[in-house]
Amino acid sequence: MKLFWFETYKTFSRWRTYISFGFIALIVILTEVVMKLSANEILYRMMRSFEKDFLIFGNVLNGWFITAFIMNSLHIHIPFLITLVAGDIVSSEATSGTVRFLLTRPPSRSKIITAKYLTTLFYTTGLVIFLALICVSLGLILFGSGDLIMNYQARFRIVFIPETEVPLRMLLAFTAAVWSMTVVASLAFLFSTVAENSIGPIIGTMAVVIVFLVIGNFPFDFFRMLSPYLFTTYMIFWQRFLDDPISWEEIARSATILGLHSIGLFLIAFAAFNRKDIKS
Amino acid sequence: MENLSPEIVLRTKGLSKKFGKRWAVKDLNIEVHRGDVFSFLGPNGAGKSTTIRMILTLLRPTAGSIEIFGKDLQKNRSTVLSRVCGIVEKPDFYLYLSAYENLKILGSMTRSVRRDEIMESLDVVGLKSRVFEKVRTFSHGMKQRLGIAQALLTKPELVILDEPTTGLDPQGMKEVRELIKKLARERQMTIFLSSHLLSEVELVSTRMAVINQGELVTQGAVSELLDREAMEYSMEVSPLEPAVELIRRLSWVELLSSENSCIEVRIEPGRAPELNKILITNDMEVSSFYPHRTLEDFFLKVTKGTSEI
Repeated sequence: MKLFWFETYKTFSRWRTYISFGFIALIVILTEVVMKLSANEILYRMMRSFEKDFLIFGNVLNGWFITAFIMNSLHIHIPFLITLVAGDIVSSEATSGTVRFLLTRPPSRSKIITAKYLTTLFYTTGLVIFLALICVSLGLILFGSGDLIMNYQARFRIVFIPETEVPLRMLLAFTAAVWSMTVVASLAFLFSTVAENSIGPIIGTMAVVIVFLVIGNFPFDFFRMLSPYLFTTYMIFWQRFLDDPISWEEIARSATILGLHSIGLFLIAFAAFNRKDIKS
Repeated sequence: MENLSPEIVLRTKGLSKKFGKRWAVKDLNIEVHRGDVFSFLGPNGAGKSTTIRMILTLLRPTAGSIEIFGKDLQKNRSTVLSRVCGIVEKPDFYLYLSAYENLKILGSMTRSVRRDEIMESLDVVGLKSRVFEKVRTFSHGMKQRLGIAQALLTKPELVILDEPTTGLDPQGMKEVRELIKKLARERQMTIFLSSHLLSEVELVSTRMAVINQGELVTQGAVSELLDREAMEYSMEVSPLEPAVELIRRLSWVELLSSENSCIEVRIEPGRAPELNKILITNDMEVSSFYPHRTLEDFFLKVTKGTSEI
């Protein structure tokens, strides 16, 4: 617990940790203000595909819809922001030379690497919670509340979620987003453990995420065949909480696969760190 | 019956480390006694840092073992390291934290440290006035002193310093040397320091080991090692001619030169005081008597001139 506190203290004493929070605040505020200013145009584009078939009334362009919209568009940005800390948390100790002090103290390497991993998860969770809070609060202030309409074009589905259910669904969706981001954090953490600088792990993690996302979205049979083996395929399982009915089986499967990825990546990092010769 | 043999604080047995096909350290056996200021001497690339990194568990030995306080390091890592403090190469701190925060975090990894203890250790190294300043504003010498403050804070019994004066200006080197002697004298700490600066070893050490190309060349008390070989001496004696005649009659003294009341001789190990006594008892005035030998001569001899220093 003491080691976890020290790692957290060190992490949150560095200004680079706040870049992510600042970036998220900026992008959410910018997006929501622009959407507010262009509300009529957005509403027209939203409704034109199904206004002939449905009679829709009430506050459609509400804070919940805006939150879901932003969540959908940040699946590249958030992983990048997570790698800024996760990819740096071990390697920066090697770069700065502090690893020599750290590893000659009585706590074992196992305890140190576990404390660092827990700090990485804490930061990841904090970042997603921050995203949730700023999205929802600003969204509700600017756009008000209402039922949530989700248009899943790829599956030709329109889902209506009553206003009373939305907060709980959103809570579950953000929890799932934390779970997904844990895999990205674990991957960056692994790279950080084996690297001697911070740039490599950040670029390496982003390269893996982008390549996997591209492969997973190519409309060719070969790539579709690979898709189930890519963790990025399961990372948007948070959307299932904004579906109707909720596919618990699919959620459980995705959560399990992602969880196993996180555990596996951490165990590799754990073993690598314990066996590592510190030559720097 | 009282045991007179000194307590061995650190012992390596057949310690070896291989990087690829190259042995960085091979079959190293050294012993450090309690209260020693033990210098680990060798040219650059001799294996000093590799040995220290193995002692501090930063590197895994390829073969051999390390005992500290009589306990196997691998099996008792946590217990042993709670009584040890090491600074490898240069003391690197978290630059974005203050001196106080750095000491708090690094010290607390060994044991709970109080604020007054941190302030006291910073006071000893002369950094009390900079306690809340970020370490990024510190000079190299100040970081070196902060490293020693960190060593003081945890009250270790064994302090391991890897080339502690590297990169310091002459004043900084002097301060660190004084601090090392003070730690050994006043706080009864055993100091193990590596260096390639021979003058430094001569000034601070009680015992030493010489390593070259990964292998131990020799170890022992500094004075004993230096006196083991025949040494050259210079002396100013008056009157000169009778003194020269007297010296020529002594089989264990070789006359090298004599002019202007100055005589240079080579004397068998340990017999310099005897020669001095003979000269005085024969009514000669000896105004100076000093050895030529330096640790540098000794070092170059034992490493067979392979040193680059």
